[in-house]
Amino acid sequence: MDSVTTMTSCPSVPSSIWARPQSRVALDSFFRGFGFTSEADLSALAAWALDGYAAHGAQPQSALGLARARVETWLAGVLGTEHVGTSLLSRGRAAFVLCDVASRGARVLMQPSAPEELCRVMRAAVPVPAPAQVTTVMPEQHLTLWPFGEMFRRWFRGAAPDVSISR
Amino acid sequence: MDSHSFSPESTGLRRAGVLGLAAASTVAGTREMQRLLSAQGTSAPEVLLLVFFALCFGWIALSFWTAVAGFLQSVFGERLPGPRYPTVDEEGVPLRTRTSVVMPIHNEDPAAVFANLQATYESVAATGYLDAFDFYVLSDSTRAEAWVAEELAWSDLCRRVGGQGRIFYRRRTDNTGKKAGNLGDFCERWGRRYDFTVVLDADSLMDGRTLVKMARLMELNPRTGIIQAPPLCVGRTTLYARLQQFAGRVYGPVVATGAAAWQLGESNYWGHNAIIRTEAFINHCGLPVLPGKQPFGGHILSHDFVEAALMRRAGYTVWLMPELGGSYEQPPPNLLAYAQRDRRWCQGNLQHLSLVLAGGLHPLSRAHFLMGVMSYVASPLWLLFLLAGLAAALHDRFFLDVHLLEQPGLAYDAPGALRLFAISMGMLFTPKVLGLTLALTRKGEAARMGGRLKLVLSVLAESVLASLLAPVMMLFQSHFVFGTLLGYRVNWSSQQREDADLPWSEGLRRHAVHMAVGAGLFGAALLVSPGLAAWLAPVVVGLLLAVPLTVLTARASLGTWAARKGLFLIPEETEPPGVLERAQGITEEFAVEPVPDAVERVLTDAKAHALHMALLESQPGLSLDTPPAALESARRKLLGGLAEPLSAQEKVAALLDAGTLAEAREQRLTRSVS
Repeated sequence: MDSVTTMTSCPSVPSSIWARPQSRVALDSFFRGFGFTSEADLSALAAWALDGYAAHGAQPQSALGLARARVETWLAGVLGTEHVGTSLLSRGRAAFVLCDVASRGARVLMQPSAPEELCRVMRAAVPVPAPAQVTTVMPEQHLTLWPFGEMFRRWFRGAAPDVSISR
Repeated sequence: MDSHSFSPESTGLRRAGVLGLAAASTVAGTREMQRLLSAQGTSAPEVLLLVFFALCFGWIALSFWTAVAGFLQSVFGERLPGPRYPTVDEEGVPLRTRTSVVMPIHNEDPAAVFANLQATYESVAATGYLDAFDFYVLSDSTRAEAWVAEELAWSDLCRRVGGQGRIFYRRRTDNTGKKAGNLGDFCERWGRRYDFTVVLDADSLMDGRTLVKMARLMELNPRTGIIQAPPLCVGRTTLYARLQQFAGRVYGPVVATGAAAWQLGESNYWGHNAIIRTEAFINHCGLPVLPGKQPFGGHILSHDFVEAALMRRAGYTVWLMPELGGSYEQPPPNLLAYAQRDRRWCQGNLQHLSLVLAGGLHPLSRAHFLMGVMSYVASPLWLLFLLAGLAAALHDRFFLDVHLLEQPGLAYDAPGALRLFAISMGMLFTPKVLGLTLALTRKGEAARMGGRLKLVLSVLAESVLASLLAPVMMLFQSHFVFGTLLGYRVNWSSQQREDADLPWSEGLRRHAVHMAVGAGLFGAALLVSPGLAAWLAPVVVGLLLAVPLTVLTARASLGTWAARKGLFLIPEETEPPGVLERAQGITEEFAVEPVPDAVERVLTDAKAHALHMALLESQPGLSLDTPPAALESARRKLLGGLAEPLSAQEKVAALLDAGTLAEAREQRLTRSVS
């Protein structure tokens, strides 16, 4: 029911942050994707995501948008501008999970700056499957399989060309 | 462009030496055979026999003179004329070019693949030239389990060596053109970023120093299109594989050096462990699709020979350089795996027949096509030679007047026949003798192969076993050749790369026909005379013993036992090069966790999920290749709570769809929380 609100239980965030159950479910799901599992961490992260934006956090989509933005800002700070773009969140999340950063607790996301050692480890774990493409075309080579036959064909204009097929 | 403009001055002499002597030997041998056969006139089977003899003898003669050339080249120790080699000063200069090292894979064991790649990567890093290289794993894997295992292994590798941004992973959803298509796709996306591309196979391993040397040679020789570093077979423990490793180590270099010595800048490309000039490859080596149906039409299956021919046609040279060293691969673990690989290669090589007369190719490129064909057709020719000989003997036995044989001048010249047989055998075994001679005379090499006595014993034992296994391979290859010509479909599945024992039932199933042929040959020979049966004994014994030979040589325990006794040892086993040792160490140290169910793994393992989703997002549009019906049924099963397992196609469809994976994982997590 929309009118029911839940108070976060984490002592490290202001107790005035409220999240609707649907928003909380969406936020929990989002942060579980980063490897957080404990209720305390999830509550704290929900509050952190909505801090200062309580009015917008009323709807699950808005809450999720805020959480994404917060995490992306954090990831950009940790990974550097190199990875900023559409894939920052997915690549950053992969690095976060691969390095098991969630085991450090929710506090790691809330600190103003991440430890240098964590930044280094996470940067090394960002999956970069391929560099930017420099697209080109590999032209199919033309092979006349039997040049003498081809010569006769041209003379008599008969039969199918004895050459490789174009793609 | 003049396609002959890069050949050194001695080319003509070298080629005349090998090819001329091979031709002269063939003519002389065939004339002698004709003299022997025509003692009582010439029957139709005897004419056929003579034709088959000429072809088989010509093939042996070419191998013989190539080995002699290789022996001389090795003894005089000179570098091949033609390419410019770096001076001592130039060897210390930083590389000015960028090289990609690409490894196309297809449903392989990720543990071995990534261990070899890591060892190669670290070896390049140790040279100090890592900045000049990037590495790509180009996956064509179709099995969902292989795909997810590769992603995890790649991620682990990047983190272990700090290879992020230097070791890349790309999976194709569409396997058009098989390996050649995979490589072509790489060239079209990333090829322009690199001056050179080193092509590896899934089981390739290369020393970093060799890769740097190859890149430097390419820099110094701007008209060189391809340099092939012949790979040495290493790393297996079954007896069969150790026989191949030993043969490749002792006899291989003589033959490879001989081929390089007369083929020079018109050598061949073997598809892997080679460096190619990327721009020239992109511009001139796009493979055509051949007109007509399989086996001769359609996509080119064995792409390497054709790419070498096209590179040469474009005016770039192709070099085989055995002296480079540091180039390794693994042999198939047993005879059946070897035959399975041969079945693929056979169709690919026979397809080259349609290219022999193609316009604009260098004559040696045509010769390479023919030699590739002959390496398979030689088996049915040998079989036909045996059958024609048997038919001729039966003809003489039943249709010839026996009194004729008693007349002086009309009797068979038995000593002459024996002499020709001895010469043929001598030519066949000469490459082995020359290889053994080199190994015995090279300082320290014999010691690293178990000592001189053990080395000689190993050569003798290998020769006996190879002779016994040869008739089985003759029948396998004959079957593949006739089957291919009659429209046999080739299944391009990945070859077995494990050292697992073969069950006796499998051996019996595969060799029942071979044993029957052996018994039939023996029976027919007995009908003529016990003497003929004795002549055929080596072939017959090999066929009758096919099952135990295949099963026992597939055993790793026997291979290890032989190694303990100092037999079939190669220096790479007694004193393994660093890169080999490292690859072995990585395989043992960093075991790759098996992925029994790819979808289950991605849904339940947070790391696998996050990684897979990140990789999916980096290749947008992949899900467009998914059959809608497969995705629909996968979603029904995953999200609808059905206990039914996903089919292989449904797994791939689900793994390609980020939305489905996210929903399904969320459902699982919610279920586990509640």
